[in-house]
Amino acid sequence: MNPGHLCSTLLLTASLALLSGACSKEAPPPASGAAQTPQSITVWWFQWAPADGLQELGREFQKETGIEVKVEQIPLGSYQEKVFLEFGAARTRFDVLIGDSQWIGRGATKKLYVELTDWLPTVVDLKTIHPRAAKYLCEYPEGSGKWFAAPCETDAVGLAYRKDWFEDPAEKQAFQAKYGRALEVPKSWEDFQQVAEFFQRPDTKRYGCSLPSDRSYDGLTMGVQNLLWAFGGRWHAEKSNKVVGELDTPGSVAGIEFYKKLLKLGPNGAERMDYGQVLESFTNGSTAMILNYFAFFPGIQKQYGDKVGFAVVPAHDGKRVASLGGQGMSISTRIPPAQQELSKRFIAWFMQRKVQEQWITKPAGFTANADILKSAAFRAQTPYNGPFAESVDSMQDFWNVPVFNELLTVTQRYVGMAVDGEMPTAEALKQLAIEKERILKDAGLL
Amino acid sequence: MSTTTDVRRHRGGSTIAWSLVGPTLLLLIAFNVFPLIYNIALSFTNRELVGEDSRFVGTTNYTRVFSDPLFAGALRRTALFVVCAVGAELMLGFALALALVREFRLKRAVLAVVLVPMMLSPAVMGLYWALILNGNYGVVNQILGSIGLPQPQWLTDRDLKFWSIVVVDVWMWTPFMALIALAGLSAIPPHLYEAAEIDRASRWRVFMRITLPMTAPLLGLAVLLRATDALKQFDLVMATAGPNDAATQTLSTLLYQTVFRDGKIGLGAAFACVVLVLVIALATVFTRYLDHLRRARET
Repeated sequence: MNPGHLCSTLLLTASLALLSGACSKEAPPPASGAAQTPQSITVWWFQWAPADGLQELGREFQKETGIEVKVEQIPLGSYQEKVFLEFGAARTRFDVLIGDSQWIGRGATKKLYVELTDWLPTVVDLKTIHPRAAKYLCEYPEGSGKWFAAPCETDAVGLAYRKDWFEDPAEKQAFQAKYGRALEVPKSWEDFQQVAEFFQRPDTKRYGCSLPSDRSYDGLTMGVQNLLWAFGGRWHAEKSNKVVGELDTPGSVAGIEFYKKLLKLGPNGAERMDYGQVLESFTNGSTAMILNYFAFFPGIQKQYGDKVGFAVVPAHDGKRVASLGGQGMSISTRIPPAQQELSKRFIAWFMQRKVQEQWITKPAGFTANADILKSAAFRAQTPYNGPFAESVDSMQDFWNVPVFNELLTVTQRYVGMAVDGEMPTAEALKQLAIEKERILKDAGLL
Repeated sequence: MSTTTDVRRHRGGSTIAWSLVGPTLLLLIAFNVFPLIYNIALSFTNRELVGEDSRFVGTTNYTRVFSDPLFAGALRRTALFVVCAVGAELMLGFALALALVREFRLKRAVLAVVLVPMMLSPAVMGLYWALILNGNYGVVNQILGSIGLPQPQWLTDRDLKFWSIVVVDVWMWTPFMALIALAGLSAIPPHLYEAAEIDRASRWRVFMRITLPMTAPLLGLAVLLRATDALKQFDLVMATAGPNDAATQTLSTLLYQTVFRDGKIGLGAAFACVVLVLVIALATVFTRYLDHLRRARET
């Protein structure tokens, strides 16, 4: 063999060896007698305080079972995209997914979530799960009794207000003089408007209220639907997906028109505020009242102590509906059966009453356990637990069908046009209803 | 004998040529041609991001693209963005180059500072500008407020947010135009200006007859590069407004929304094909125009 050929052969062999090493999927076999690989499960959730609490609980689970729980926190802005791209793979990097309530239709119909209908009742008494949490966070179709998740974080929109302003004698006197009634936490949307109007003082950088109104994801929709439902409107017929004639009604129009008025009683830019900006307007000490998810309230309370108070969302003509938040815990179908079993062990452990009692002590850990929610001890534990438990009884969700994203996109657009005054509200809702029916028909859901 | 040697030589030469060009060709086929063909194929299906079942749907996706008001809106907005942003960048960049072409003290330092924005990541800059322009705590409004001026909602007011993004893009890419224009201006032979001076030509005439025509081909190239880039505007919009805001949605963010949020791969592929045709059409018009300029200059 000439030296050139020898050199080439050696180089080729070395390259192939390196390449095969780099491409090899299999880990080297363990030496005989080596310890077995420790068992672990990976949970994906978005980046926020409750995920830290879940990780802490995961360590408790590990102590009891030896199974490690890794809670990976993904930034909220890219969470949805990352999750569904991951489902495109043969094996997801997560075993347990804490997915948004609205994803459940997609997860169930596209066979991404393991169906838990037969298994879940064997580890938890389903009657202990609050029926609204079951309906919106766990079942698909809603209320069908087909379970694709176990409730993890139950959440709803509530009201946070500056208690110190409400209790200030000078403010109380001024309010009494102006409106002829006592200044108190608003029970109706009309009261809310009046109180917001009273505190709206842009000259002194004090504002009435901040409401979710962002257009980039779901802020405006999640905010507006509290009023849409309270004023007698609805997104679709109660027992079907019919939208035309159901959404474009005087009740829906009145709810949105009222929301539009409330948006004028906020700080600069109140017409387009995401949840973080709503929160920021309150924590910077400039705003009297905000509507936001209860999961954000522990942080407010930590910062302001007894200067803040919490309440359920106001009502209209006695009708109160809170927009649902929260997520269920689902198991990926794209993992081996052994991992599915480990995941089930974790979920079964998490659903135990004693663990749920630990869960509610974690920052913003809100349970769906109906017994705990009813208990006086839970309600007395923090200033926001009572209103939260009350809100769970009236919470309701936006669409959770597989095409919810498209429905959300058009809702944000048309409701946005109504709120911005680009289109009369009645006309915007009429167009929205037609557009939604087109999407639903295309998806075979109507 | 010599013929056989020639054939061998030729064969040897073509083997070397193929072995040099082959890897690049393979990469081009793998990463450009195949995805393009696959994308075209996908555009005729109802393929979704998740789920196995997809079927041939003919031209349904294309019908949807052309009848979708969202697509029309995003197309209009993108065109407006290209015209306004690239137009402003061209004018400001050229003016900057005219100012920088003369020799002065600290010229190199000034040039380095001027070029900084185009060297930064658009996504990171988008996030910074979102903070700078924040209506409540952004630096801009803090300054305006401190001198008693109104504090507009730069990124939330529906009439302002699109223009705020245009301004940020102009800030980022004007230096690029300036750099290209500067290269063009530096390449103009000084004797042309000397001849114009002897002829006592006015400054305006010198500019219109020498400076502009001599730099036009390079400026045209810069406009082509920036226009094709601006047509794909994504980072700044995502960082400041998100993909679904009706006031700022561009073709790229609509595409992102369709594929990654709505999960409609087939429809997204059709969107992408239409956008590709538009970009190719624009590039063809520009290259022909550049060719025309080159020929005019030669004659």
